[in-house]
Amino acid sequence: MANKTVQFKIKRQDGPNSQPYWDEFEIPYRLGLNVISLFMEVALNPVTREGKQTTPVNYDSNCLEEVCGSCAMLINGKARMACSALVDNLEQPIQIEPFSKFPVVRDLQVDRSVLFENLKAVQAWVPIDGTYDLGSGPRVLPQVQEQAYRLSQCMSCSCCMEACPQFNESTGFVGAATIAQARLFNMHPTGKVLKEERLAALMGDGGIQECGYAQNCVEVCPKEIPLTKSISDVGGQVMKKAVLDFFRV
Amino acid sequence: MASTAQSANTALPKGVSPLRAGTGTSFLWRRLHSLTGIVPVGLFLLEHLISNAEILNGANAYNGQVKFLTGLPFRLWLEIFGIFLPLLYHAAYGVYIWWRGENNVIDYALKGNWFYTLQRYTGVLVFAYVAFHLWTMRFTGIHLTEHYDASVWKVQTELAHPLMIAVYAVGMLAACWHFGYGLFLFAAKWGIVTGEKAQKRAQVLGIALGLLLTLLGLVTIYSFVTRPAQEKNPLWEQPVQEQSQLMAPAATVR
Ligand code: SF4
Ligand code: SF4
Ligand code: FES
Repeated sequence: MANKTVQFKIKRQDGPNSQPYWDEFEIPYRLGLNVISLFMEVALNPVTREGKQTTPVNYDSNCLEEVCGSCAMLINGKARMACSALVDNLEQPIQIEPFSKFPVVRDLQVDRSVLFENLKAVQAWVPIDGTYDLGSGPRVLPQVQEQAYRLSQCMSCSCCMEACPQFNESTGFVGAATIAQARLFNMHPTGKVLKEERLAALMGDGGIQECGYAQNCVEVCPKEIPLTKSISDVGGQVMKKAVLDFFRV
Repeated sequence: MASTAQSANTALPKGVSPLRAGTGTSFLWRRLHSLTGIVPVGLFLLEHLISNAEILNGANAYNGQVKFLTGLPFRLWLEIFGIFLPLLYHAAYGVYIWWRGENNVIDYALKGNWFYTLQRYTGVLVFAYVAFHLWTMRFTGIHLTEHYDASVWKVQTELAHPLMIAVYAVGMLAACWHFGYGLFLFAAKWGIVTGEKAQKRAQVLGIALGLLLTLLGLVTIYSFVTRPAQEKNPLWEQPVQEQSQLMAPAATVR
């Protein structure tokens, strides 16, 4: 098909404190293009649609197969991974923006360290550090493994947080991913040792209570992690703890 | 290229703050908001709708139900601690929740997000409606605690104008929807219904209950509006002149 092109525009920003602006591009169509390959085309020939010279676009990416979680951005207004966003499935001109709830570093690159801080706050790990060999861990039933596996696929892309109406500066909500990870490690026979601490952390300000069940998180999660189920599950754990604490602490 | 000029002295944008692990009291307040929506506010709504439906058994039955309710011991305390305060808390904290949410239903026009949005708007609507309803039916006009036998008359007078019927119908729908969906939210948040399929079911059930209650409410309104106008109270000792004045609106009731 002769002269078929792809039109897209990118919201760019030169630094954390500079003003955003839009650059529009048009490149020849190829079969199988995804959004990352659009950026590669721009890097090869950084000229806007109007013929203005510009710079290659700054963005995060790594695996290019939707497992690393780095290339999350807003594509046609929705949070998703750029590497798995196929041009053939997108309405043009494709509108590409950095996440709106995370500080922009440059162009499409944002600072998502809040998720890392949140994971640390709930101790989303299995504590096995020791000075001697602890031997093999306790057995995990296959049924539990199956549930845990789904949760363990979280790649910290933060799509669930970007899309959540409750995740914003006035609530400081922890977001669905961290709650799901707390559930994952509470499920683990060794990780369980920190369960009470994780739940206590999630009862702090910005904790699980801020969820309003809009269910956007579970809709946008590229890894289809059962986020609302996890929030309810941990919601139950937290309530149980609250009630028990009331009578026993 | 557009501005490369960086405002040198502004701090870097912070973004959403991380979890304040284990600190603060918002958990308690938010869960209390959730609880008060079911008990006592939701429970009261149920009682209120069922009591109102007594009109289907006739004017006397309705007035009798009002007599029973207003005659309960410690009525005022029940009202204050069982209805007014929890309702006020639920409403005020609800507005606070609404104000802090960042609605994005335009970008994410998804079912759950619509319901999330609706829960906020119905909440505010019900708040306004209940304030109005309390004002006209509880705090002004003939006090039904003393004159239970004027109950049907008072409701019929309230619903005399078609516009009022519309206000009540909308208030009814909003309140019942908010309660029905709120039941699902409660079950989900408190970890009572956790599974994916189970939550879908609970959502449908909650909405169905909300609509069913709306139907009950609308039938009740219909019954009030269509039955013959009640006299305020034939047995009252009232100065003749005042009574005839007060009777006037009742005579115009359809
Ligand atoms: S269910 Fe809604 S409010 Fe809760 S975390 Fe997911 S998107 Fe946010
Ligand atoms: S839960 Fe899903 S959307 Fe959220 S960070 Fe993990 S993979 Fe991304
Ligand atoms: S580059 Fe790894 S998820 Fe897109």
